[in-house]
Amino acid sequence: MSTKQTEKKDIPAALLLNRCAYGPTERDLDALRAIGPSEWISQQLNPPAQEDAVVSKRLADLRLRIRYAAGQGYAARDEMAPLSTLDKPIEQVWNLADFKQPMAGNERSRPRFEVAAATLVRAAYSPWQLREVMVDFWHNHFNVYAMDAPISVALPTYDRDVIRKHCLGNFRAFLEAVATSTAMLYYLNNRSSRAGIANENYARELFELHTLGRDHYLNEYYSRWRDVPGATTGKPTGYIDQDVYEAARAFTGWVVEDGTGLGGGQNLPQTGKFTYVETWHDNYQKRVLATDFDPFQPPMADGRKVLDLVAAHPGTADYVCTKLCRRLLGDTPSKAMLASVTAVWRKHLKSPDQIARTIEFILHTPEFADSAGARVKRPVDLVVSYVRATGIDFTPTDGFIYELDGSGQRLFGWAPPTGHPDNNDYWLSSHVMRKRWGLLMGLTDNWWNTGAIDPRFGLGGGSTAAGALAVHWMGRFGNRAGEMDRIAGLLDGLGLAPDRVLNNDQGGLQQMRRIVAFAAMSPDFQYC
Amino acid sequence: MNLTRRHFLQAAGSAGVLLPLTGISQLAWGAENTDRDLLVIVFQRGGCDGLSLVSPVNDQGYIDARAPEMRVAASGDKAGLALDSPMDAHIDFRLHPEARALQDLYKGKQLAFIHAVGLPNGTRSHFEAQDLIERGVADNQALKANTSGWLARSLSQMGADSMVPAVAAVPGLSHMLQGAPHALALPDLQAGVGLPGGPQGLAALQALYANRTDMVGAAGRGTLDALSAIDHQLPRGADNKVQNYQPAHNAVYDNNDLGRGLQAIARLSRMSVGLRVACVDQGGWDTHDNQPGRLNGQFGALARNLAAFHDDMAGSGTRVTTVVMTEFGRRLRSNRSNGTDHGHGGLMMVMGETVQGGQIYGRWPGLATEQLDRGVDLAVTTDYRAVLSEVLVQQGLGKQAIGSQVFPGYQPDLKLGLFRT
Repeated sequence: MSTKQTEKKDIPAALLLNRCAYGPTERDLDALRAIGPSEWISQQLNPPAQEDAVVSKRLADLRLRIRYAAGQGYAARDEMAPLSTLDKPIEQVWNLADFKQPMAGNERSRPRFEVAAATLVRAAYSPWQLREVMVDFWHNHFNVYAMDAPISVALPTYDRDVIRKHCLGNFRAFLEAVATSTAMLYYLNNRSSRAGIANENYARELFELHTLGRDHYLNEYYSRWRDVPGATTGKPTGYIDQDVYEAARAFTGWVVEDGTGLGGGQNLPQTGKFTYVETWHDNYQKRVLATDFDPFQPPMADGRKVLDLVAAHPGTADYVCTKLCRRLLGDTPSKAMLASVTAVWRKHLKSPDQIARTIEFILHTPEFADSAGARVKRPVDLVVSYVRATGIDFTPTDGFIYELDGSGQRLFGWAPPTGHPDNNDYWLSSHVMRKRWGLLMGLTDNWWNTGAIDPRFGLGGGSTAAGALAVHWMGRFGNRAGEMDRIAGLLDGLGLAPDRVLNNDQGGLQQMRRIVAFAAMSPDFQYC
Repeated sequence: MNLTRRHFLQAAGSAGVLLPLTGISQLAWGAENTDRDLLVIVFQRGGCDGLSLVSPVNDQGYIDARAPEMRVAASGDKAGLALDSPMDAHIDFRLHPEARALQDLYKGKQLAFIHAVGLPNGTRSHFEAQDLIERGVADNQALKANTSGWLARSLSQMGADSMVPAVAAVPGLSHMLQGAPHALALPDLQAGVGLPGGPQGLAALQALYANRTDMVGAAGRGTLDALSAIDHQLPRGADNKVQNYQPAHNAVYDNNDLGRGLQAIARLSRMSVGLRVACVDQGGWDTHDNQPGRLNGQFGALARNLAAFHDDMAGSGTRVTTVVMTEFGRRLRSNRSNGTDHGHGGLMMVMGETVQGGQIYGRWPGLATEQLDRGVDLAVTTDYRAVLSEVLVQQGLGKQAIGSQVFPGYQPDLKLGLFRT
């Protein structure tokens, strides 16, 4: 670590595995204890590029149901099919986005299901847990809505070549990968933006959601760019609507090979890949963030210059680091802390591991070590941490993904470009609370065929008293000592005396499963 | 009395006591079950193009700025539907043809439009505009001082202390209800709100959550109390499954977020839980591209669901007032994606039996460049709070309370006259 914190504190293992992983498992706890938090963090921030062998095998073995009735021009299908889109380049799956080809909607939405299933498998089983946590963070930061067919088809590429590739890397490089991604070009409409009256959708959210953030939208200056503090010295503290308009012009011509007509009977090819069309680009001079752009620059130079400006802007450091802290600490950082985090971010502006360095710094702050209990699990965190704590041999199914979609957290299915809310309140609504309990019950009773549970996992032996089983699971789910006093009430509610012996028969196992599920519904297990 | 009722219901819920339906509802509400008010807010997320819903089809500024396919037509088989209105004698305002269901409500004087309405602040950010509006303020400075939602603050002025005074028919609580005690998020009531494990599960959860005051504990307790009270009242079939809701008067809702949400509100308002305010969202309004096709679907769904909700609730004994609003209108000039970018002045709707409907309220600012906000967008001539203030007066709030508690720093003048007195 290049920046030494002075008041170094011990990082509790449980905190690290809840916040920087999807909950503790024996294996990860042992690994962490063997090498200590600093080394664990350092290893986690340098994961190998290739997929872990265990995860690879699970993904290869996974079968997801696809089912639809026959329609105009296609036959019915009902089978358990392997994942087929995850490793393919976009041009090999792009036919799924071609609406001229008759096809069931389920074929077009299939890639989104495959990425969602793979995401859950990796969250549960990847040894590179921190990468999975950051992949989720960036998928929300650079949100796309894959319930729309072309974005579903582009999602495997987006997940693999954009988000996973850059999630611990350099932010400037990340931005360009996003800006040239088929998923984002469709989602925020830049693919249809043209010189003339450009489409502002991408440019606005680039400033507001991807880089400088809302606090740096200086709306009161609107058209008076010279009045923006710092503008006359070329360092405006924020952006105004004119910056959005001009940036939108800068990105005209950044489009997708989607067969669109070019004029004169010519069409773009149909590959789904990024391309730049010079004749659609607005070539004239521009001014973005008080910086002049000369007219007639080389291909893509205007857009790249915008990305250079926003990536290096101090407002971007503030905004992105605040979001990183909120995710990792569960709370907004103090001014002093943010200043130290952004210093690291800015120092590594050109480093290939800028994001990893920043995360490493945050995780070594005393604020992080003190942050237990500050963050509430979202439904995906909850179900995956449950799978990891109970040792369920977990396989995502279409039914389970549908159920999760109804929980308030729809993987790759959040419509507004903000991504899912990252404040605790949202995840504590009555709807989400009820869904938490239902998801835990359903996983335990295997309603969605996700895998059977062994209610004596970690205990061994034969028959068990209800009370002992409850103590085992309440403890395993991270309940603090005082919470153990609730076990009598919990069992009483379930109609079980603590000394009731539960045998390995059907009735006994069902009672055991109820004890596991309800112990996981305890408030303490909802925190991460 | 109210407190007693609330405590009684909590106790009934906590004990898992299954009281006969009629018994509990009489004890809970009795005669107050009729003749009460319900305020419903429909929020169009993403910025609805008010210029396409109530369209100034003969305004030269509109004709010049938008390609023909981006406009509502004045004649032909897809012509906009006539709206007789005194708003501006020179402008022919037409309703989007896909919103036909709204024309009947308008002609029946149950529906009023307010045009060129919105935030006095000229933000073109969705999320800033939504936050400002939902918290009932006009600038970012006020945002810091007002962390609760305007609907939550209104509710506290209404003195509603019932089991379920407020519901957001969306997965997470809407910001306009932020801070309202006992507010629920319930996007769908079709299959009930059962908890796992039945009465035993409820008792187990209550043991786990009892007396916990941390954020999860408090949220869990509130959820258990309210959902068990609701669950007791949902009708069940012989198989003990919650029966589907049957809207009155053969009203048919769409099977989409808005339709399910309005249905949940209707169902809840018919139960004896004391519902006083509700909100629901319709997404999909951010029409930066392919606007004509997308708006056909959006307006159709909006109109059908509002009409269904109106029909369903007619004669229910609850006086329903429904407000439809969005964060901003869209850019006057269309872009080359056949869409429109973020604009300023928008459109609001107020629907209900006490509404002085069949009119377009507000002042039409015109669409010539010098009449536009910043030269590009429909100007705002009516503050969104002017509309909401009149709605709140109709809901029984005083002008003083509105200015000091609900919209701090705003002086309601109540000059629109949206409601019959």
